[in-house]
Amino acid sequence: MKVHLRVFVEIENLGKAMNALVEAGITGFYILEYKGMSPQDWKGFSIKEDPKSAIGLIQDYATDAVLVCSVVEEEKTDKIVESVMQTLEGEKYTILEVPIRRIIVNNKDLEKERAETWLLEKEVPCFYCGENSVQRIRIDMNKAKIWCTNCGATRYYLIKGVEKEVS
Amino acid sequence: MPVKKWKLEKGANCYNCGDATIHDIEVDEFDIKIRCRDCGFSRYYTFHLVDLPRK
Repeated sequence: MKVHLRVFVEIENLGKAMNALVEAGITGFYILEYKGMSPQDWKGFSIKEDPKSAIGLIQDYATDAVLVCSVVEEEKTDKIVESVMQTLEGEKYTILEVPIRRIIVNNKDLEKERAETWLLEKEVPCFYCGENSVQRIRIDMNKAKIWCTNCGATRYYLIKGVEKEVS
Repeated sequence: MPVKKWKLEKGANCYNCGDATIHDIEVDEFDIKIRCRDCGFSRYYTFHLVDLPRK
C-alpha cells in the first residue's frame, strides 16, 4: 500500500524539511503555501462574519506555512518520518500519514496535445499603423488571430474547412 | 494598405498523422492555409473580422 505523507511546517523550516525528505528517499513531491492557525492561537476567538474581517484576521494572525506532500511506499514511511522528526527537532511541525486506496494516473490526451495553440511571430509593416513591428499570430484548431504589437490592430479568422490529400 | 503574403513554418504534431512534422503556414489578406509537409493535411481559415485601435 502507498501512503500520502503530508508534512506541515513553518515557512522558515521548509528547506530543512525538504532536505530531510529527500535524504530519506522521497522521489516526487508537491508543496502548498498556506496561512494557518493552531488551535491554541485560535482558542477564544470569534470573528465578525463579514468577509473583510475574516480575511483581515487571517492576514494579521495566521502564520505563513508550507505543506509538503509526497506519495511513499508504506514500508518506507517510518524511515522518512523519523528523518523529518530528527531534522526538525524543537521546531513546530505536523505530519499526517494518509493511506491511499488507489491511484489513477491519466496521461495527457494525444488528440488534445495535437490541437494545441500555436504562437508565431513575424516582423513586417502593420497593415493599419504601417510601422515595422512584430505581428503575433495565434492559431487554434477552429480560429486564428493576428495582431500588431505596436498598435493592437487585430484580424480574426475562422476555420473554413480541412482537406486530406489522397496518397 | 495591401497585405503581402507571409510564409511561415511551425514544427508541431500533425492533427491528422500525429507525427512531429513541419507545417507550412501561408497568411494572406483574407485566408490562412496550414499544411502538414508530411501527410498533406490542410486547414483553411478565412478572414472574419477586424478590431482596430482608436486613434
